[in-house]
Amino acid sequence: MAANFWNSSHCKQLFDQEEVDVVHPLDKDKGITLEDFKLIKMHMAIPICKLAQQVKVRQRVVATAVTYMRRLYTRKSMSEYDPRLVAPTCLYLASKAEESTVQARLIVYCIKKMYSDDKYRYEIKDILEMEMKILEALNYYLVVFHPYRSLPQFLQDAGMNDISMTQLTWGLVNDTYKMDLILIHPPHLIALACIYTASVYREKDKTAWFEELRVDMNVHDVPSVEASFVYLTALSFWQDLVKNIAMEILDFYESHRLITDERINTAFNKLKP
Amino acid sequence: MAREIKTGEIVALKKIRMDNEREGFPITAIREIKILKKLHHENVINLKEIVTSPDGNKYKGGIYMVFEYMDHDLTGLADRPGMRFSVPQIKCYMRQLLTGLHYCHVNQVLHRDIKGSNLLIDNEGNLKLADFGLARSFSNDHNANLTNRVITLWYRPPELLLGTTKYGPAVDMWSVGCIFAELLHGKPIFPGKDEPEQLNKIFELCGAPDEFNWPGVSKIPWYNNLKPTRPMKRRLREVFRHFDRNALELLDRMLTLDPSERISAKDALDAEYFWTDPLPCNPKSLPKYEASHEFQTKKKRQQQRQHEENAKRQKLQHQQQHGRLPPIQQSGQAHPQMRSGPNQPMHSSQPPVAAGPSHHYGKPRGPAGGPGRYPPSGTSGGYNHPNRSGQGSGGYGSGPYPPQGRAPPYGSSGMPGAPPHGSGGGSGYGVGGPNYPQGGPPYGGSGAGRGSNMMGGNRNQQYGWQQ
Repeated sequence: MAANFWNSSHCKQLFDQEEVDVVHPLDKDKGITLEDFKLIKMHMAIPICKLAQQVKVRQRVVATAVTYMRRLYTRKSMSEYDPRLVAPTCLYLASKAEESTVQARLIVYCIKKMYSDDKYRYEIKDILEMEMKILEALNYYLVVFHPYRSLPQFLQDAGMNDISMTQLTWGLVNDTYKMDLILIHPPHLIALACIYTASVYREKDKTAWFEELRVDMNVHDVPSVEASFVYLTALSFWQDLVKNIAMEILDFYESHRLITDERINTAFNKLKP
Repeated sequence: MAREIKTGEIVALKKIRMDNEREGFPITAIREIKILKKLHHENVINLKEIVTSPDGNKYKGGIYMVFEYMDHDLTGLADRPGMRFSVPQIKCYMRQLLTGLHYCHVNQVLHRDIKGSNLLIDNEGNLKLADFGLARSFSNDHNANLTNRVITLWYRPPELLLGTTKYGPAVDMWSVGCIFAELLHGKPIFPGKDEPEQLNKIFELCGAPDEFNWPGVSKIPWYNNLKPTRPMKRRLREVFRHFDRNALELLDRMLTLDPSERISAKDALDAEYFWTDPLPCNPKSLPKYEASHEFQTKKKRQQQRQHEENAKRQKLQHQQQHGRLPPIQQSGQAHPQMRSGPNQPMHSSQPPVAAGPSHHYGKPRGPAGGPGRYPPSGTSGGYNHPNRSGQGSGGYGSGPYPPQGRAPPYGSSGMPGAPPHGSGGGSGYGVGGPNYPQGGPPYGGSGAGRGSNMMGGNRNQQYGWQQ
């Protein structure tokens, strides 16, 4: 959608971190911790992605679907809104909202092909019913802005629009959907934070830049960041915010390495009735 | 129509039709909601919220879009017996229409169904664009393929009639030109009954298109099948020579065949027409017209004396004498050919039940209305929506005009492939189906029909919200 972000429902719907990090009482009763909650949300982005590849929709649809799912769980419990049904339904709804309609039939067919597991046995009517529930829970706010749109412009302005940099930042943006950033920050700041992170990353090998950044977030020390920094200075008002977002991204990558399948399974098992 | 219990505010409801929907929530409704949620402008109807009916099977219907309530629509207002718009009034409406449309176009939204019945007017003289059921967002490069089955036939531009699938805001500007001419002329200028006739009427007035006046026209899909068989000159300035000079100048630029040469909303707002005497008047200074459901307001008045809007309504006679008559021949007259139906008393004190499907000042306007005015009977359903006939009168809540008769055939039944949406077929929004609740507020209101306008409402429902 073309209208500007600042007037959009997306902008008005931005949350504080504390609002997002609330585990619904119903889920809490089942022993779901904040960690579990985050883990499940992160993990559910995977089936959405896989399914999107099967039904051939753009990354943008995936991003919108994940955003719907994350918005949903700021209001509703996972006990009542089973993530295994919510994930494909969000993709179905997002495909309509992003004008890349996918038939419900195809989604159901692909799910069955992907999973032999009975837990994923959903029929068309389940998807359609869940769609209505999600629409209501989202209060029919369907417009989502994504960092992808501002990315090329920023990269060009910063003189970093070579292929490898573009790919790297694009990948970073994809990864931000494993977090709740899109619910909390304006999309263009997320884009800037990804550029910031990428420019640092390209200079150093992975562990080194982790160490360095944790010690000192002052970008002056990193020569390759110069160009982007000039750009960021112009936006000095947002600079701290961008740095903070970049820190969140880095934190995520670090903690991500520690996540095991076992932990994910434990979290999901708690959801069982 | 309904009333919000909390505030006592009257609102209009539009039902989102869910039956027969195999793909869940209709994408047309998603588009409309997305667009309405992003547009916030004084000349664009405000979507207040979306409500789900608490009873019945909530996922199979009973979803309504809640809009601010508007008293009239432009067609209904123009068609009132004895109605004559003054020049400042026409300028005022036109300027608001263009301002609202310019806002839409800036926000990359094509309305794609501009016509009088989708232009709502309140008793403050404000005009708002409504019914975004066919609207969609566009990108500036015009490269996307869009359906050409949009815009009510009489207001559809030549490029769509010739089958183009790449188009932009100019399609809406053609419709604006049609409305402008209609306001000045006193009746629709291109009342075609099917697509070939529609094109022919356009060519007769605007001349036949060729590579000279419209470069690229011969590459449009159906040009070779539909091109005029004989040479035709542009006669617009001759036919409308009695129009004010600046008005004619602007109209000429709006009804330009080549969409790339057609004036934009922005440029139209800068036209001499709006900046020469008599200037557009302030909307607030416009006469206030009695709402069409006067019988309702009586009771409401007693209950809601504080309701300012009603108080105003009460005071004002709808037949105000304008200080100025339009200098244009026809527009001053009340299109006599339309008035053949029996006129009922203006301040209709008739019991509502007696009014039949048209409670629009008891002015029945079926196909009997008059020669040339309506599509031939049989297409009088407007949108020939099979499941819409028999519904109560439509109109934006107030029912200022009936759904039947006036609306040109929207992909009329005489044409193949009638549904205007590429998808959706007979679904989409319809006038409230039989299974939605009647009576009880706050959902006592009605469904909506695309053809008629946002609102429909039958007698029972109108009583409903009075309770």
